[in-house]
Amino acid sequence: MLAFALRRLLAAIPVLFAISVLVFLIFFATPGVDPAARIAGRNADPATLAQVRHTFGLDRPLPVRYLLLMKHLLISRDLESFVNRGSRVVPQITHAMPVTLSLVLGAAVIWLIAGVLMGTAAAALRGTLVDPLIMLVGVIGVSLPVYWLGEVVNLFTQNRLHDSVFAWVPPLGYVGLTDDPGQWALHLLFPWLTLAALYAGIYARVLRSELVAALNEDYVRTARAKGVSERRILIRHALRCSLIPVVSLFGLDIGALIGGAALLTEVVFGLPGVGKLTYDALQNVDLPVIMGTVLYAAFFVVLANALVDVVYAKLDPRARHV
Amino acid sequence: MPRSATRTVLVTGTAALALLATACSSSGDGGTANSTSTASTSASGAPAAYQSAHKGGTLHLVAKSAAGSLDPQVNYTLQYWQLYQGMYDGLLAFKKVGGQASFTVVPDLAESMPKVTNGGKTYTFTLRKGIKFSNGKALTTDDVVASFERVFTISSPTAGSFYNGIVGADACLKKPAGCTLPKGVVGDAAANTVTINLTAADPEFPYKLAVPHASIVPKGSPAKDAGTRPLPGTGAYKAASYDPNKALKLVRNPYFKEWSREAQPQGYPDEIDETFGLTVEAEVTAVENGQADWVFDAPPADRLNEIGTKYASQVHVSPLTAMWYLTLNVNQAPFNNLKARQAINWAVDRSAAVRLYGGTNLAQPVCTVLPPGFPGHTDTCDYTKGGGTTWKAPDLAKAKALVKASGTAGQEVGIVVQDDEVNKSIGEYLQSLLTQLGYKATLKPLSANIQFTYIQNTKNKVQLALTSWYQDYPAASDFLNVLLSCGSFHAGSDSSINIAGFCDKTVDAQMQDALATERTDMTAANTKWGAVDQAVMAKSPLVPLFTPKLVDFTSTRVGNYQFSKQFYMIVDQLWVK
Repeated sequence: MLAFALRRLLAAIPVLFAISVLVFLIFFATPGVDPAARIAGRNADPATLAQVRHTFGLDRPLPVRYLLLMKHLLISRDLESFVNRGSRVVPQITHAMPVTLSLVLGAAVIWLIAGVLMGTAAAALRGTLVDPLIMLVGVIGVSLPVYWLGEVVNLFTQNRLHDSVFAWVPPLGYVGLTDDPGQWALHLLFPWLTLAALYAGIYARVLRSELVAALNEDYVRTARAKGVSERRILIRHALRCSLIPVVSLFGLDIGALIGGAALLTEVVFGLPGVGKLTYDALQNVDLPVIMGTVLYAAFFVVLANALVDVVYAKLDPRARHV
Repeated sequence: MPRSATRTVLVTGTAALALLATACSSSGDGGTANSTSTASTSASGAPAAYQSAHKGGTLHLVAKSAAGSLDPQVNYTLQYWQLYQGMYDGLLAFKKVGGQASFTVVPDLAESMPKVTNGGKTYTFTLRKGIKFSNGKALTTDDVVASFERVFTISSPTAGSFYNGIVGADACLKKPAGCTLPKGVVGDAAANTVTINLTAADPEFPYKLAVPHASIVPKGSPAKDAGTRPLPGTGAYKAASYDPNKALKLVRNPYFKEWSREAQPQGYPDEIDETFGLTVEAEVTAVENGQADWVFDAPPADRLNEIGTKYASQVHVSPLTAMWYLTLNVNQAPFNNLKARQAINWAVDRSAAVRLYGGTNLAQPVCTVLPPGFPGHTDTCDYTKGGGTTWKAPDLAKAKALVKASGTAGQEVGIVVQDDEVNKSIGEYLQSLLTQLGYKATLKPLSANIQFTYIQNTKNKVQLALTSWYQDYPAASDFLNVLLSCGSFHAGSDSSINIAGFCDKTVDAQMQDALATERTDMTAANTKWGAVDQAVMAKSPLVPLFTPKLVDFTSTRVGNYQFSKQFYMIVDQLWVK
């Protein structure tokens, strides 16, 4: 089991390597992004430009530059942004992480609770009008693009109704949990709800179909025959089994979101998380930061995948030999 | 003035903009205006007395993103040049007042204007006494000498263009590490003087000493870009912290005492914060809600109606000395043909471009390279229907005839624009116009952050591009010489500011003559620059479109708004109390 887990994690290394090479090459294949001219400034003298090129090692062959970049990122950990010079990439990511974690974990609690409640209620009440109604609400949540929903939420809470109903809503931005827990929660409330709206719908739908399938299983019939109450069957028997795919889905989603997939939510609500950092770096084609955040994101996705695989293998020995 | 892409005004035309004109206070050429304050600048351009009743409070500015390194000798963006006004000083400074007087250079760390001798080649400055840096260290001649050497050591963007005339600069440009200027910048601690020797007279040198790249920082400052670590300065404020992902925080410099009200006035707020990370939409909302005091980025088009009507007293519109223009690459077909270039100048409807930019309240059509109100500008218009001195209408018939005569019809033309709404819409207009003229036009929108480096890379062979230029300092050469001289065209380089690749021996000689005349007679020189402008327009390497105006949106808390034509809103003179 341990060997499998190790093998699985080791397999992540070539994936991360391939991603880093790809990001690096795409950057240099993009026209007009050679950082030297931008670092040197408008109307820089050719001599100044050459100096900048040399100082940043931009006159060296591509493989050397790649190795230097990775050395600064992973070994000496002093890689600096090309745009905000003097700003180190690794601390930027570590400072942005708590913001993303706060956003994603808070939203996860909300969507898990909402998703499980909605999914269970829909499955329990199938055949009635409530079931399609809940599913419709779920689909609406899934279909609303998060940046649009976020902007609409902002429009009401910060603009149109800010002087009346939503006077209690703080300005956009982030307050650290350790600075002021109350303000932390208040600042994150609407971002949480916005992000959760998307995932709650997905989870509710997945859970409902799993539950419906489970309710037709033999063990449920057995339980019914033994006279177990419907409520107990639903919660104790069917729901427990149906949660397995939900949990594995959750693992993957959380991995991607912590890795920066909450980008649009962060941008819309002005949260300085990893997603926002990635977005800004992409806007400015800031290679060191892009490299840092993309590798960070890839790491979390690969890690989550590996963990899910390990958990699967734990549950089902057949998966260990795949 | 170099401007970050984010500051490039992103506004489109709406009927609602008409409201802006009537509702807003405006800062025109003659002075300043503000709805909540009395005039802060007298007619003579002298700053008003300090009003201690307004001292204190925290000014909260918002910007979409940070503008890079905080090093005043490196950063080349309006966003920070504006803030440096209260943080750093040079030997000279632009007068910190609103209106036309803001173009005047006054002594700053020097106690008076320099003594210019040796045929304009030697500048002698006497330093003021008793000035301290924000770290408590007294300012000495050593700091001044070290600061000028540091310009080269750290490869400052303008080291090769502004300061290359200093004796010894050539060697420093070639080998920046350990740069010394023993004959170029000479300090005399006993006499408290600094002498700068130039290889040739440069009448624009005082301007170049008044921009932030010539800031005086303590001797021993890092020999590389200080990046996010703030350097001590002599201004009324110092940076307490800087995180490009969060905020820049300025607090009062405890060692500051006002020595010249027009060069470095005492500021009003106790603290100035500029926070980063909100979208422009959210920034505008934050100012409306009183959560922030000023938006750095241009308000989006769909909010102009709202701020122009509901928040009219908080909007300030000011004309800029800047130009939006098209570059026609004179080294690439079809624009290596004079007639083809002239055809474009005849055909482009400047009014259409103005409409797409936001209407006549936000921009004015132009015919010349030098913006209206700029030294050397004369009202002439070579390419307007029916002739005259101002632009009236395009002449499509004439343009079509020229295209026909040039024999370039049917050729392919790529138009490179930034990918935002305004630039793209102007690009689409150009595409249809070129098609109408008989070319096969394609539009290439690029991210706003890379478009400029792309089009100034000669290897990309850009035929037609839409871009803009904002003055660095008020001299005609900052437009004509920088954008269109042979010296600004670097074939095979990715930093060729002369994007049109225009190098005409006759016009270049005219420019050199105008530069030479500046040494003896600025008025005569400006007349010559006017002639250069017309000579350039005759060759048509670019199509001037319009000169833009700036929309500043402030909160209700803010008073004493003043607009410097050089560095825009004077941040530390705002009242928040």
